[in-house]
Amino acid sequence: MLDTFILGLSSGSTCLLTCGMVFFPYLMAGSAGTRKIITDFSFFLLTRLIVYFLLATLVWYFGKTIFTSAIFRNYISGILYILFAVMLIWYSVGRNRKPDCPAKIVTMVNNKKLVPVFLGVVNSLGFCPALLLILTKSATQGTITQSYLAFLGFFAGSSLYFLPLPLAGRFRKKKVFETIGTLATGLAGIIFIIKGITNLIGGIING
Amino acid sequence: MDETVKNLSMKKSFGKSLLYALPMFLITFVFITGGKPDFSDPAGTLAILVTFLGMNILYFLMHYTGKTDKFRAIIFIVFALSLSFTLIRNMLEIRHSMSFSQADIVECKIPFCHLVIPMMILPAAFTKSIIFPGTILGGFANISSMVVLWLVATLVLGRGFCSWGCFYGGWDDGFSRLRKKPVIKKISDYWKWLPFAVLLMVAITAALSLTPTYCSWICPFKAVTEFEQVTSMESAAKAGVFISLFGGLVVILPALTRKRTQCSFLCPLGAINSLSNKITPFTVKIDKKACNECFKCVEVCPLFALTPEDVKSGNVSVFCSKCGKCVDACSKKAIHYGIKGIPAGSMKKFSRNIFLFTSFFFIALFSSGSIITVLKSIFNLFI
Repeated sequence: MLDTFILGLSSGSTCLLTCGMVFFPYLMAGSAGTRKIITDFSFFLLTRLIVYFLLATLVWYFGKTIFTSAIFRNYISGILYILFAVMLIWYSVGRNRKPDCPAKIVTMVNNKKLVPVFLGVVNSLGFCPALLLILTKSATQGTITQSYLAFLGFFAGSSLYFLPLPLAGRFRKKKVFETIGTLATGLAGIIFIIKGITNLIGGIING
Repeated sequence: MDETVKNLSMKKSFGKSLLYALPMFLITFVFITGGKPDFSDPAGTLAILVTFLGMNILYFLMHYTGKTDKFRAIIFIVFALSLSFTLIRNMLEIRHSMSFSQADIVECKIPFCHLVIPMMILPAAFTKSIIFPGTILGGFANISSMVVLWLVATLVLGRGFCSWGCFYGGWDDGFSRLRKKPVIKKISDYWKWLPFAVLLMVAITAALSLTPTYCSWICPFKAVTEFEQVTSMESAAKAGVFISLFGGLVVILPALTRKRTQCSFLCPLGAINSLSNKITPFTVKIDKKACNECFKCVEVCPLFALTPEDVKSGNVSVFCSKCGKCVDACSKKAIHYGIKGIPAGSMKKFSRNIFLFTSFFFIALFSSGSIITVLKSIFNLFI
């Protein structure tokens, strides 16, 4: 859970600063009071949590069905960890990458009450390398509880950044925070590369 | 030389330089000898004398020549080498090895270093515990004295600590001076934000795991101080990381780029010190009227603290460690040591004198002990 929490924490800031400006006007649109903001946020976060738990269940089930041998599980998770962690690092250091928020499509939703829920779904299903890493971890867990805990860690880490979202527009040094967040994401990628190598070596030794 | 520039030179006459060096002479005499000189041990006496004279000659030369960086670098590099030597010697004496065992961790026998500080803050605040296995009071390199010394130095010097107080910075500073011209000239200053990301990661992981994760997994200086005994795949991987980072960021990249790459791209304490630059009274200022925008200062800055935009706007970034390289390189004397509140271009000599006295005091205080130890060991071989 610790590693997924760190991954959520490191990638969450980039996620917020990439998507925050899209979320912000929609979540705040027409909201006069704190109560409305809190309700909208609660729906947004709750939707994310539900989607993550659904993903955790699905991925764990498929993982259990496909990865029948523990050694095979080590190999596959090792390779996927390394692959997705490299993608995560590339995502953080690729200077030509133009960050684009998947939640932009929220403009298609006319019902304002559904916007927080829709944002929650789109945000959770934005298949970034960080989410792919969590999916891999979840798929190779022994029990469904471990799978839930992996997603819960990621949810908790990444949600921390959404809490001060109403203030996001007032950040004076957005670029600096975005840069630090992006680099931290790269470092989290390195942690997962080490994890992947450890799994692979474990697979080789036990195989 | 241009007459205006000549007038602005920081050089002083021989007599005036001696006069400026006198207070430092007296202060260093007091803390090097402890106020009670003991001449019973010939090797020790000679070591004290050489250290004392060496330091004061360097300080005198800073005033006499008007140059700062090259004399600072001498003591800074000697400090880094001697500290590593002292640490290794102590460890060999105490545990007959540079590596430490799990028993040493349990018995809290690990010498403390200031790089642990960023990881201690959150656990200390939330759990009221110190996550480093060292001694709090007493013994070699204890936690409380190191934290207090760092705190005072960083409040006074800001990131100046990284060039006037850190006992590791001299390693990459030294290697960055090996070549006259850099082989790699273009490095994006985007990477200068990496220490903040490292700080974020190590602070969080240390708080969650209650272990000093930077020391356990990343610190390149483990390669020249102490490290965990290699007994498993994990400890072997750690040793590999320490050696690779030391080789890459402390030796190879500084030599190829003439930049202090470990300090610029990795050190989490450097990130904290950058923030303290906001509150320190000392700074480096750019006199826009005198500046001809040759950007020589940008080129020589070892810590990516200056960009052409900074020079044009007349502001030095928080990454500045006040090493003096840009100040020495400026042919127009447009960039100079300053004190906050005093406008750029005015009271240059006064500001430099005050800064030099303060910063040299810190480096002399921190380094004298280890330099004396090394010299004593060398002289003992002959006497």
